[in-house]
Amino acid sequence: MKEYELFIGPQHPGITGNMMYHLWVDGDTVTKAECNVGYLHRGFEKLMESRLWMQNIPLVCRICVPEPDVNEAAYSMAVEQLMDWEIPDRAKYIRTIVLELARIAAYLMAIGSYAGSIGIYTLPQWSMGDRDYILDIFEQLTGARVYHIYIWPGGVRWDMPADLPRLIEKTLNYIEERLKLYDDVLFENRVFFDRAIGVGKIPCNKAIEWGVTGPNLRACGYGYDVRKLEPYAAYDEIDFDIVSYPDLGKFDAHEAGDVYTRMIIRRLEIEQSIAIIRQALKKMPESEHILKHPNWLRWKVPEGYAFARVESSKGEFGYFVVSDGGLKPVRVHVRGPSYTHGINVAEKLLQGANIADVSQILFSLDICPPDIER
Amino acid sequence: MKSIELLGKGEEMHGRAYIKLSADEIEESIKKLKENGFNHFVMLSCVDWLDKGKFELVYHMWNYEEKEHAMLSVDIDRNNDVMKSMSHLFPQIETYEREIHEMYGIKFEGNNRLTPFLLENWPHDPPMRKDFDSKKFVKQMYESIPFIEGDENEGI
Amino acid sequence: MGLHNGDKMMRYEEWSKLARKASKRSLWMVHFCTGCGAIEMPPVMTSRYDMERFGIAPMATPRQADVLLITGYLTVKTLRRVIQVYEQMQSPKYVIAFGSCTINGGMYWDSYNTIKHLEKYIPVDLYIAGCMPRPEGIINAFLELMKLIDEGKARGWERYQKYYDKYKENQRRVFNFEVKEEEKEEKEQKREKNEEH
Repeated sequence: MKEYELFIGPQHPGITGNMMYHLWVDGDTVTKAECNVGYLHRGFEKLMESRLWMQNIPLVCRICVPEPDVNEAAYSMAVEQLMDWEIPDRAKYIRTIVLELARIAAYLMAIGSYAGSIGIYTLPQWSMGDRDYILDIFEQLTGARVYHIYIWPGGVRWDMPADLPRLIEKTLNYIEERLKLYDDVLFENRVFFDRAIGVGKIPCNKAIEWGVTGPNLRACGYGYDVRKLEPYAAYDEIDFDIVSYPDLGKFDAHEAGDVYTRMIIRRLEIEQSIAIIRQALKKMPESEHILKHPNWLRWKVPEGYAFARVESSKGEFGYFVVSDGGLKPVRVHVRGPSYTHGINVAEKLLQGANIADVSQILFSLDICPPDIER
Repeated sequence: MKSIELLGKGEEMHGRAYIKLSADEIEESIKKLKENGFNHFVMLSCVDWLDKGKFELVYHMWNYEEKEHAMLSVDIDRNNDVMKSMSHLFPQIETYEREIHEMYGIKFEGNNRLTPFLLENWPHDPPMRKDFDSKKFVKQMYESIPFIEGDENEGI
Repeated sequence: MGLHNGDKMMRYEEWSKLARKASKRSLWMVHFCTGCGAIEMPPVMTSRYDMERFGIAPMATPRQADVLLITGYLTVKTLRRVIQVYEQMQSPKYVIAFGSCTINGGMYWDSYNTIKHLEKYIPVDLYIAGCMPRPEGIINAFLELMKLIDEGKARGWERYQKYYDKYKENQRRVFNFEVKEEEKEEKEQKREKNEEH
């Protein structure tokens, strides 16, 4: 048997962004995989140490490009813990709505690029177009399409405009209609079943030990979600159920932890997010949207260690913030969900996989390289 | 909190357990916590305390059942920055140790994958150390390179 | 004799004009997400903004592509790959750089791992300002590039050939940068002082 080496990325359409996998291949089977990252390393953690607490907000959102709001929320929550602040009720609800909208946008992107990786090119065309309607909402709310810099320590930057809920409702109805078409094209498609069932299985008893989080963990049958475990924003006042294997609603459950289940979980969580946003819009109280804040230039944060975690569309995002009571943080360390998914888990899942499945396994793990390297 | 009870020391900090340990105790403590439900290893951070002359390694662990977060903190000397590797306890610690080795220069004994991770051909000091002056470095490295002069109508 | 030569030159000019007219209508871009600006490429490629109506399409291989997009900041590690990709592309080839970080470093002005001025390492035909550029901005940049190609002004690749040595020298300097000897001595002295304390 002869073995050959294969390099996928960084300039390759079948890779999730700017990263690289080094594969050793025997025939059609991958025998060993090694991840090579660092193409996007900007040294954010070093930059944050030399900037004021408030100057870091525009930096943190650039850590996860497809879903930047979770970073702002996690960083703000860590700073609020250190300051011992309780944010106003209205800000909590606005945060919930923003985070859920961002989640839908990220899922649409993930589903689209996954469909592209198994050769269904209709779905990326649709889902990217539909994602843009959510970006339109963000544009009205925050003034920017991708990086919003909207969630601040102490609340949110601006109040929600009075006519925005109507636009959100309209967009949600539209996306709900479109999901039926997505089902026809991808989720009830024979091609998807044949390609995805039983492929790229995460061993369920190892999932937690390997550090799998988010939808990938829920696909393994563990109903763990940071929104329930450690409720932040207004999630403790909202009624929702965690979607996890084997309870997949109208879809059939097959094997736990494979590509099929991971994608179905994402599909179901879009519906769940829509329901959460509707509830939050209904319950949103009238109050201030941000606390009265100190002068940002002379703002000192009390000494201590804080950790805030947020559920993103990719998994658990965590911010570890250390302050020595000064104008600038001593250390901000980011735990990106792709750190484990992209390196350890992917290297193990690719071992023994067929070479044609490499791309779909990576896209179904929803790896986002900027949060590995920061 | 359960982790404080298990290890017999520590304090609560913003709803999370912060436990100060010595370098010899850390392996036993992680094992003990792992057996008692702290089965999710969140991350391994490193803080550089330049004025105190030490690095602080923080092992974050999470218990899904008790919904409890434990931060195990170890100090190591800045001049003698050697630590025992914990990568046999959780597989992802290997990657965190690789990153910390590259960014702070801490050597982890027992981890045989301390290869370059994020940086490529990096002959300088580890960049995340507090005494690495990135502004000066940028000035020397990037700003010293000249623009390419040429006629106006060639390209831009 | 001279007349004959001039005639030949004339014909070359006319032909290249025609070639430019044709090639500007089918710009293929390399599929390489070098930075965060790449997040705005899927909307531009797909149904809502649909750049294929201008004849622009993504291409997986550099040898078949005309345009290289540098979508945002470049780390030194990526710059090495970008230069490889750029040198594989066949002339005429064009470079569009996205966002403030390719112009002067932008918000990464003090980052140790990103290059600050892209045009020191490869020639840039067009910059798009902003962080990050909107899809409309990207499409506008492509239209602007078509105009430049038509007028014969997008000639970065000729520049790269003419000043090849200078570009190579700059690239070599950024890849093999070493702290100067004096600096090292200074550092050692500092260390010794610390130990004395």
